[in-house]
Amino acid sequence: MGQWQFHTPEGVIDYLPEECAVKRSLESKLRAYFLTRGYDEIETPGIEFYDVYAGSEVFTPQETLFKFCDHKGRILCLRYDGTVPAARLAATVCRDAEPPLRFSYLGNMYRFNESGGGRQREFTQGGLELLGLDSPDADGEIIAAAIGSAQSLGIRDIQVSIGQVSFFKGLVEEWQLSQEDAENLQLKIDTRQTVALDELIRRLGLSENDRAVLEIMTSHDGNIDVIDKLKRLVDYPGCIEALNNLQAVLNVLDDYDLMSYISIDLGMLQSINYYTGIIFKGFTYGLGFPLFSGGRYDGAVAAFGRDLAATGFSIGINFVMSALRRQGSSETKLQPAVRLVYEQDMRKKALAVSNEWRQRGLRVICQSKQDSALDKVDLTAYAGGIEEILAADGLSSRLIAFMRDDGDVQFFTMGVKHQ
Amino acid sequence: MNKTLTIALSKGRLADQAIELLERAGYNCEAAKEKTRKLILEDPQTGMRFIMAKPADVPTYVEYGAADIGVVGKDTLLEEGRQLYEVIDLGFGACRMCVCGPNELKGRLDSIANKRIGTKYPRIAREYFEIKKRESVEIIKLNGSVELAPLIGLADIIVDIVESGRTLEENGLTVLETIAPISARMVVNRVSMKMKADSINPLIQAVKRQLQEG
Repeated sequence: MGQWQFHTPEGVIDYLPEECAVKRSLESKLRAYFLTRGYDEIETPGIEFYDVYAGSEVFTPQETLFKFCDHKGRILCLRYDGTVPAARLAATVCRDAEPPLRFSYLGNMYRFNESGGGRQREFTQGGLELLGLDSPDADGEIIAAAIGSAQSLGIRDIQVSIGQVSFFKGLVEEWQLSQEDAENLQLKIDTRQTVALDELIRRLGLSENDRAVLEIMTSHDGNIDVIDKLKRLVDYPGCIEALNNLQAVLNVLDDYDLMSYISIDLGMLQSINYYTGIIFKGFTYGLGFPLFSGGRYDGAVAAFGRDLAATGFSIGINFVMSALRRQGSSETKLQPAVRLVYEQDMRKKALAVSNEWRQRGLRVICQSKQDSALDKVDLTAYAGGIEEILAADGLSSRLIAFMRDDGDVQFFTMGVKHQ
Repeated sequence: MNKTLTIALSKGRLADQAIELLERAGYNCEAAKEKTRKLILEDPQTGMRFIMAKPADVPTYVEYGAADIGVVGKDTLLEEGRQLYEVIDLGFGACRMCVCGPNELKGRLDSIANKRIGTKYPRIAREYFEIKKRESVEIIKLNGSVELAPLIGLADIIVDIVESGRTLEENGLTVLETIAPISARMVVNRVSMKMKADSINPLIQAVKRQLQEG
């Protein structure tokens, strides 16, 4: 017997009844919410060929994938996200479906993350993919759905930062930066290393005007007037197009009445090789990581041979659970089951009664008296009947029902027996 | 909602200098100056809470959002490679991260084909040699007195921080290449930067002003 017999691997956990009930309740709320927005759920396999993800190496570095081999020696990996499989599906089995396609997913993803603070190596993620539309309205739809999802799960304080990676790409093109300089600049902006950024600006010989642009990109005020400020400073076509697109998406969000949640952050430059336009992240208190994130990745489906624009987002159920716990929000309580105890000769009747109760919505355990070890507890007669129990919201877990010899049922509450 | 600002400090000299700087910037840090063995020092009146952490743990606290702000050396940041906002170079604790070795290797570092490197900073060493110089190397992780390694033949060279260079000199070693300048940095959790912008932005501005005025 191996020494790991009593352990679970790093980054995965067992969900015990209480927590599992909370998780399931959040999952079903999220599913219901996705349906109301008109997105159809898909379920892709938990296992994919490694080649499915190898095309997006910048976004899914190979060391973050759980890999193994099939019987023919081909490399497989566990599902890393919901987006890449959805893109595969849209370009292959659904290649003839008329766009736009609206897909939702909810399932477990696997990554070699460092775990902690709500981060796991196996985690549950839900998300939406809107494929085949490249309008600001489509971006707005996805951002609105992301905010709505978090709200439907009980998260109240939400802040969303929106960026547009084409703005940075426009600068790189205009300044004709080498790939190395561009990557360096991207990192310095994304991590707000203002001092190192100053040095880099000097080394690249950028003008005062360009410096001012980068200063605005790395500032933290998030105000939407940065769009106008930047328009006064740059006239590079790529950048102007990006700013106009950002403004158009904000106009959509204004019509959704969501502007109070929004701030602008043009310095968000993670995974810019993957994102092609709008990028956004949602934040809340008590969680060190973004609650949800998404954006436009028009290359994702194209990588599978179908030219289809794509925008989407994902939200982590485990992150939502951590945030709700730390924000002290009330959690779903697991509705306790009523125990119906019978003497052997009343079994048939008891089984029938318990089925009837189940049909009326109660959780019922039906158990013989011998198996019930009731001599250790003190039973007190309970005044109410089954109707009252069905009406009650938070049923006591200490309730027990007895099937008497005459077939009538009597209710008791259990206490600890005093000696 | 919880608006307390939690600041993680690297126990030791960096913490003292950080507290002094924050005070000059107009923040009351009496709580943090208490001579005590307590690890969490809180002042409900100012809404500030200080955590005294091991330097290598500061980036972790901040990345996970257990602290909103941290003060930590750039060497630790490079070694930990966390996702953070690195907002200010505080200037103090200045030194350099260097590749060092015996004097006779000066200018001839490339003459060793398979380098064995002794270091407290395996990640920095690996990134410098493997990514920047595209060279496979053997890293030997050590925990202190790294200069010993080349002297007794455990490693060919070392990667370590150099302040004055005296320890190197006295042991017949010298700086062969400089990897990066090092000093203390103020880092901020990416979520706190958004959710607590009202209190963090003014703090950053006040500290920057203080640094400019010297």
